[in-house]
Amino acid sequence: MSGKVSRQILLYGVVCLAILIVPVLVDDAFLLNKYARYLIFGMLAIALSLSWGYAGILNLGQATTFGLGSYCMAMFLKLKTVPIHTGSDGLPDFMVWNNVTELPWIWVPFHSMPIALLAGILVPALFAALLGWFMFGGRIAGVYAAIITLAAMVVVNLIIIDQQSYTGGFNGITDLARFEIFGLTFDAYSASTYYLVAICLTVTLFLALAVSRSKTGLILQAVRDQEERVRFFGYDVALYKTFVFALSAAIAGLAGMLYTIIMEFASPTFLGVPLSLSIVIWVAVGGRQSLLGAMLGAVLVTGVQGALSETEAFLETWTLVMGGLFVLIVLFMPKGLAGAFEALVRRFPKAERKGGARHATEQTSKSQPHLGGAL
Amino acid sequence: MDFVVSQILTGLSLSSILLLVALGLAIIYGVTGVINLAHGEFVMLGAYCAWLLQSQLGWSLLASLAVIFLLIAALGWLIEVAVIRHLYDRPLDTILATWGLGVMTQQIVRLTAGGELRYVQMPPSLSGSVDILGATDSAYRLFVLAVALGLFLATWCIYRYTSFGLKLRAITQNRAIASSFGINSARAYRLTFAYGAGIAGLAGALISPLKSVSPEMGTTYVVDAFMVVVLGGVQSLVGTLASSAVLGETSGLLAYYSNDTIAKALVLVAIVIIIRFRPQGLFAPRVRA
Repeated sequence: MSGKVSRQILLYGVVCLAILIVPVLVDDAFLLNKYARYLIFGMLAIALSLSWGYAGILNLGQATTFGLGSYCMAMFLKLKTVPIHTGSDGLPDFMVWNNVTELPWIWVPFHSMPIALLAGILVPALFAALLGWFMFGGRIAGVYAAIITLAAMVVVNLIIIDQQSYTGGFNGITDLARFEIFGLTFDAYSASTYYLVAICLTVTLFLALAVSRSKTGLILQAVRDQEERVRFFGYDVALYKTFVFALSAAIAGLAGMLYTIIMEFASPTFLGVPLSLSIVIWVAVGGRQSLLGAMLGAVLVTGVQGALSETEAFLETWTLVMGGLFVLIVLFMPKGLAGAFEALVRRFPKAERKGGARHATEQTSKSQPHLGGAL
Repeated sequence: MDFVVSQILTGLSLSSILLLVALGLAIIYGVTGVINLAHGEFVMLGAYCAWLLQSQLGWSLLASLAVIFLLIAALGWLIEVAVIRHLYDRPLDTILATWGLGVMTQQIVRLTAGGELRYVQMPPSLSGSVDILGATDSAYRLFVLAVALGLFLATWCIYRYTSFGLKLRAITQNRAIASSFGINSARAYRLTFAYGAGIAGLAGALISPLKSVSPEMGTTYVVDAFMVVVLGGVQSLVGTLASSAVLGETSGLLAYYSNDTIAKALVLVAIVIIIRFRPQGLFAPRVRA
């Protein structure tokens, strides 16, 4: 077991190292910006893999928490823009256009960097914790929970678009200052921003790995496979689920903050249905029960998408191809590429394939050491 | 008095649309346990069929309703055969598969019919307005309400009084035992799915003169419809009826005091709080799971 663990840590480490040395090889600011975006999507995939793959909570609204984090960062950077971009009395320009005369109270704390950075993680986490407390406390699970996360996202999205004078409405928050911390400036198109994202990704990946390997992680996997049984053992199932739901939201919030730095704006599309669907697809393609697999799935799919969307013909059919691929993966490869890889590595790949997904997940729970496979 | 009546009528109109959209979803979920996230796309396709038949063939909306029902039901049948039936023992994956199908459908419509908004003409015979207790309401909205109630009644009668309905109820209670008594549950599931899809298509066609038709219109409907089903309690058709009435009237009232968005948000918050304390839904009878 311990040999397997160290092998896994080694593999994760090698991948992170490979990600970190990219700027040494690529000296193109535009490409680095693009790669950094893919890495942020990778973080989102890790977040969903934690809640979906490890705890069985299918979050169809993962983009909600991503968007909340992104808006927190955008509000902070908006207040830091040089006066040219803002209206009278340091009000953000869109507020002036909407006849707002005083900075709304909700914006005031975002003058302070520590508060803004904390908010970017804590606001999504608290939102998820509250929603989780209601859902899991009421023993809402499975499909129900999935739809409620989707509904919550649709509503948050509507509110942000509706409250134009506080959020910029459809246009989102644009014309942002550059992010500065400890005397370092993070230009969206620079190696330093890439490193910032890559380091955050590494930390997130290992944090998620540590959680999944901890006792809490094991209990969560048990909840995923046999919720009732875990409850009968006396564990507070709702508490564990709320915890992982909030943790996943915090990771998504961090990813959202980084995304604002990379994209230089925040928009309601960041918490839209299409992005949420994409996250689910990445994780399904990569392998929902593997953190690294999910992350690489995101990087792979968005990478291919980025390459293909440069050719005109694929731009429109891409969504179609993606949807079709997704349905096929759900039908025939429920464990994604990571599952296929594991089956390849193992000596007897037959045992894995037999009996479809249901049996496969049950096997996972029965043969715990199997999780210590390379991915 | 006028105000109260017109407010109730507004709420009823919202309720009837909710009922139309939620009915198909509730039937499919109640019988097969599948959450059909492509349901909104069935609604959207129904609306597009109405637009297509009207603008290309010059059919009146009323004349095309039956055709639309059959078309979308056939599509539902195909989807059940191709995808859904492989996933009955993996409920979470049915959400994913139907979501993927929904996205594909949206994109196909966008590529063929274009992404711009489309409009469907109201049937001329129903474009007037009617006086009710001093308040006026559009005749078409009342027609939609009547159709919604009629469909509900028809569905309820099928479920309650026909031998097919009896089989459905048996399958809902225990599929394995029902099958061992010789009920063809696979066929029943397929018919249910097709029927639910057909009703969704009908809903879309009926809604089309009231709202603009676009490829994205389905998403909000599926979320609203699911709220109805959650609040009403699954496997309870009467619950679906009651909760669409409650939700429609509440949204209408809240929208009067603030706006549609705030109303929607408040309703969602209320639902999340309600299911915390009554997860089986407001109107579901207590049954052993």
